[in-house]
Amino acid sequence: METYGAEPTSSATQKRVGIAEFAVTDGGAVLSTSGLGSCLGVALYDERAGVAGLIHTMLPAAPEDCPNPVKYTDTGIDTLLAAMAAEGATTANVTAKLAGASAMFDFDSQEESIGDRNVAVAHEVFDQRSIPIVAEDVGGDSGRSIKFRGDTGELLIVSSGNETRL
Amino acid sequence: MRVDIQSLGTYNRLAQEGAEHAAASLTQMTGIETYVDVTNVTLMSKRDVEDVFGGTTFVGVQIGLDGGLSGQTALAFDRGSAASIVDVLVPGATASEDDEFDDMAQSGLKEIGNIMMGGFVDGWADYLTTNVDMTPPTYVERDGTDVLPNGALERADEEHVFVFESQMTAVDEEIDAYIYMLPEYGAFAEMLEASDDHEDAIPMDKLTVFDEMTRQGAERAAQNVSSMTGIETDVDVSRLSFVPIEDVPNTARDEVYLGTVMEFKGTPGGYLAILFDEPSARTIVDATVPMELDEPLGDMGESAIEELGNIMTSGFIDGWANVLQTSIDHTPPELVHDMGTAILSPIAGRLGQSQEYAFLMDSAVVTPEGEFNCEIYAIPDERKLKEALDSLLVERRDELEADTESLF
Repeated sequence: METYGAEPTSSATQKRVGIAEFAVTDGGAVLSTSGLGSCLGVALYDERAGVAGLIHTMLPAAPEDCPNPVKYTDTGIDTLLAAMAAEGATTANVTAKLAGASAMFDFDSQEESIGDRNVAVAHEVFDQRSIPIVAEDVGGDSGRSIKFRGDTGELLIVSSGNETRL
Repeated sequence: MRVDIQSLGTYNRLAQEGAEHAAASLTQMTGIETYVDVTNVTLMSKRDVEDVFGGTTFVGVQIGLDGGLSGQTALAFDRGSAASIVDVLVPGATASEDDEFDDMAQSGLKEIGNIMMGGFVDGWADYLTTNVDMTPPTYVERDGTDVLPNGALERADEEHVFVFESQMTAVDEEIDAYIYMLPEYGAFAEMLEASDDHEDAIPMDKLTVFDEMTRQGAERAAQNVSSMTGIETDVDVSRLSFVPIEDVPNTARDEVYLGTVMEFKGTPGGYLAILFDEPSARTIVDATVPMELDEPLGDMGESAIEELGNIMTSGFIDGWANVLQTSIDHTPPELVHDMGTAILSPIAGRLGQSQEYAFLMDSAVVTPEGEFNCEIYAIPDERKLKEALDSLLVERRDELEADTESLF
């Protein structure tokens, strides 16, 4: 499991998050991840504590005894919440934003796409934790790159050359 | 020899951890956030080794191992990569293309090399529950395949050798380095070798046939591009590597590509992506569409690329089907125009539901004048790949070599 930047360093202004990775900042760093296709970007923010976290998950639900919880949306969100709590965040104060989970292409339309399942699992997990999803930009058939501002909780999404701010 | 997939995965993870230790140290020493993008285990034939290492100067460290594991291991950066590391690590040290690295630069590289190897060797020793001693690193600067440990090239000629490759980058791209770790073959091969009754084992000789099939498939696809565009093409690299499934999307560069993706069904099942970066796509569109387009990569341009993708796909598939002597069903190639990582992510996602690692076969089609380049990624379903290999008679290999012209 890669947890670069899980130890916040105040000097870093930007931290990149790869697939099946996460990062947490309590120093207002910008957390970014690029090339989200069917993967899901989950941005969590505790405004009161000034702690933000971003995770890039690949698959919806983890099997039992999975070696890398960060790869999956369900176990990944819990891993990120725990890492944020270690930096002073309180789960009750956390809000969530989602981006990514597009279909890209459909070889086999009988099956529900991985992107849709990633979103469904994220909604389920946040429902159970009573964490509000305050904004989301998911689905469609284009990839997305995102930047999450650790100081304001603003999420910048770039997709096919268009910018959206959530 | 049969190769145990699980231990291949373990060694890949250890190499990844070693590279991450080095990236973390580099971050600490320089203040620049450095990351490991991909670590893979690549299976190389003599020709692959010569393609990758030939004509390049390498610098790095050579470390001797003793104890539970013995032999020489080399860790090498190509000169350009080393220079990008030296630039941030010891500013002021000499790192120009013509000049020798000075003492400061050499000791910086030695330190990074030592940290990486240390991470890898410690992990190795833990895994084998034994002690491994490392000799102090020796700085080496060598040309081409001389960077390989003794005997590796001869070994590659007989069968294939394993090379660990890590790709390291920084947020602001001041560092873009490839790092190769080349273990002495004997001890490493022994550890990977599985007993015959191991259910996860893949026979090496058959795996190398598959590697050859990929090269031939790519060559056939390249010929089809040439005949359509009138531009001479060549297959630059074609290789088989073993990567954690979540690293598959990162093997494409962080830029926008245009191309086609399709799923092949039956045995072997999996996916094939044929991707052109945008400048390359523009060149292709100019060469194949008889009129001047306002928007070269608009609808007209995209359909020209789709057509080309179709033709290349059938070239590739014909090659495989011929060798396996079976027909390969596939979905119609779908046009994609997006970031490389985003394009490959649903493929990794689909395969990732049933496998932790992927055999990735990637090839690059290039032209002598650099007009365009095209990346071909074939990612078979692990289980179906094993089935295909099981039913592949090894004798086919001789036939393949003797009779390539008629097969492809």
